[in-house]
Amino acid sequence: MADDAADLLPHEQPAPPRADLVIAVFCFVFGVAASSLAYRMPTYTSQGGELYTAPGLVPGLYGIVLALLGVWLGVRAIRQGALNAARAQALEAPNRIDRRLALAAGLCLVFVVGLLGRMPFWLAAAIFVAAFTIIFEWQADQPWSLRMRQALTAVLLGLVTGVSVTLVFEKLFYVRLP
Amino acid sequence: MFDGLGQLGSAFLGFMNPHTLFNVIWATFLGIVIGALPGLTATMGVALLTTLTFSMPHNEAIMVLICIYVGAIYGGSRSAILLNIPGTPASAASTLDGYPLARQGLAGRAMGISTSGSWLGTLFGILCLALLTPVLSELALSFQSFEFFWISVFGVVVAGTLAGGDPLKGYIAGFLGLFIATIGQEPYYNYQRFAFGFTDLAGGIGLLPALVGAYGVAEVLQAMRGPAVKTITGTIDSVVPRLEDVLKYWRTIFRSGAIGVWIGILPGLGEDAAAWSSYAAARRASKEKEKFGRGSIEGLMAAETGEASSVPGAIIPVLTLALPGSAPAAVLMAAMMIHGLNPGPNLMLESPLFFYEIIAMLVIADMSKLIFGFVLVRPLIKILLVPRERLMPIVFVLCVVGSYAITSRVFDIYVMLVFGLIGFVMRELKFNMAPLILGLVLGDLLEKNLTRGLVLSSGSLLPFFTRPVCAVLSALTIFSIIWSIPAINASIKNALRRAWAGGT
Repeated sequence: MADDAADLLPHEQPAPPRADLVIAVFCFVFGVAASSLAYRMPTYTSQGGELYTAPGLVPGLYGIVLALLGVWLGVRAIRQGALNAARAQALEAPNRIDRRLALAAGLCLVFVVGLLGRMPFWLAAAIFVAAFTIIFEWQADQPWSLRMRQALTAVLLGLVTGVSVTLVFEKLFYVRLP
Repeated sequence: MFDGLGQLGSAFLGFMNPHTLFNVIWATFLGIVIGALPGLTATMGVALLTTLTFSMPHNEAIMVLICIYVGAIYGGSRSAILLNIPGTPASAASTLDGYPLARQGLAGRAMGISTSGSWLGTLFGILCLALLTPVLSELALSFQSFEFFWISVFGVVVAGTLAGGDPLKGYIAGFLGLFIATIGQEPYYNYQRFAFGFTDLAGGIGLLPALVGAYGVAEVLQAMRGPAVKTITGTIDSVVPRLEDVLKYWRTIFRSGAIGVWIGILPGLGEDAAAWSSYAAARRASKEKEKFGRGSIEGLMAAETGEASSVPGAIIPVLTLALPGSAPAAVLMAAMMIHGLNPGPNLMLESPLFFYEIIAMLVIADMSKLIFGFVLVRPLIKILLVPRERLMPIVFVLCVVGSYAITSRVFDIYVMLVFGLIGFVMRELKFNMAPLILGLVLGDLLEKNLTRGLVLSSGSLLPFFTRPVCAVLSALTIFSIIWSIPAINASIKNALRRAWAGGT
């Protein structure tokens, strides 16, 4: 069993009680905030409406349930030692895998916020696919000839993706592109 | 009966044209590829294609989605056998015996068993769908808002309890999904809830951009985070299934098919639970228990038949109760709604032909899967070798196109991004995504039925508990929640054990 746990990747390890406690606090605060916003919604009773058709009834109920589930999760996490867990566990320096994740998320964000709508879709998609591939395939110990070959392949892949996605979805599926 | 056969025949004939068959070919192929590639799931495939086939006529669009669904669930076994990594969560059980068979040089035979088991499983499921759907629809016609309210609650709670992982987190995910579904204009007074003055938010959170984000974007991020995978690419023996394998394990096939259909019908459980349950049942009943986990033909056959039969199984409650049996079926149900169909008991009354078309679509998708099972061996290995660094940016581009396609709102792309982040974080924190999806899909139905029920009963809660079906569903829902409390669960089990020991 211990060996199995050791074989797991960092993101496959069971969530530690401290993480569950953080979720519980978030869930409780979210539930209370949702219920209080729902409570402030109009009930339309003065216009002949019934209380049970009030717009805030259902989301208010969901908010209460979420807050209660947060309490349940929080109590369970504390019983499992969330308050005693080493603080260092939560403050580990980001490893290589997390940097890959941040890079992927950052590139996706740049594509949506920085490229889309500022140029034709095929070009934005081509730049994104090529940049994503080049950056992730880049290795410090590679010879330049291999790097250039990979970069060329990535640019070609980007162009093929951009043009084919545009043609297939605009002409075949009649889908509008951003 | 003959009228039904006639309608089924005309449904088949309606699809026998070059245009539809071309769609079947590419969609099944794409589904198998999506399923085979680790990191891409059937739910993501169906969600993405729902948006991209939006402009097609409804029966062609649903045909494409069913081909994707059937193909992706089958395709997952290829990477399970060749990589020891399930292409979709549904194929996790297939790795146990599929990969050992591949390591013994029997990768082709394993793929043949996977193909025959999957083909027969889907056929068995289709038969159950054809027989059970009219009966269940008839029964559900007597249901009113009170029953439909409980069906929605039961779906979310059961998905939280049984879909795997921590039930408590399942409930949180389910209620979060329900809450998100309340954002935007509500149905009675058109009051804008939680919009904070934003016009886009007042229109509500688009279901499909949210699903594409929660599955597509989250999967892109997860795939880029994990390590690269290596495939077995040695010589592959014949992939043609052996008749003796099928005949020898006919009991396993029927048992797994029945388990798969039953688990498919239960809300939100899906194909992975069906595969695991079928595998466990086959192991318990097997005369060759020692082979399980070391390359058992019977084990692989059970897992593949179970997961494949749960696909039509998961569609049964969509057609009869508007309650999806799995996450991909939830997206399929959303697609039916988008195309103006009305899943639920009235579907058989309003669009009887559509029921027969669904049967025809499933049979055509299953046959197409069988053919691709024989011819797609080498090309699929090549596809499995495509590095994720080149594949994932393309998937992300498709996610962006998909989330924008239906309403042409840039806001939907931001919804997709936010839900991608939510989906990723929730997976990291060990939340099961199925209850969230069910909550999102069922939220609107649940609220409408609760309010309508309260209006009908003039605000009284009694009918929600005293009507026979409501009493059963509410009791089951409450029991599911109580059962998931470890202390109560343990004391019930101990009491049962003591009672059993006292009785014997």
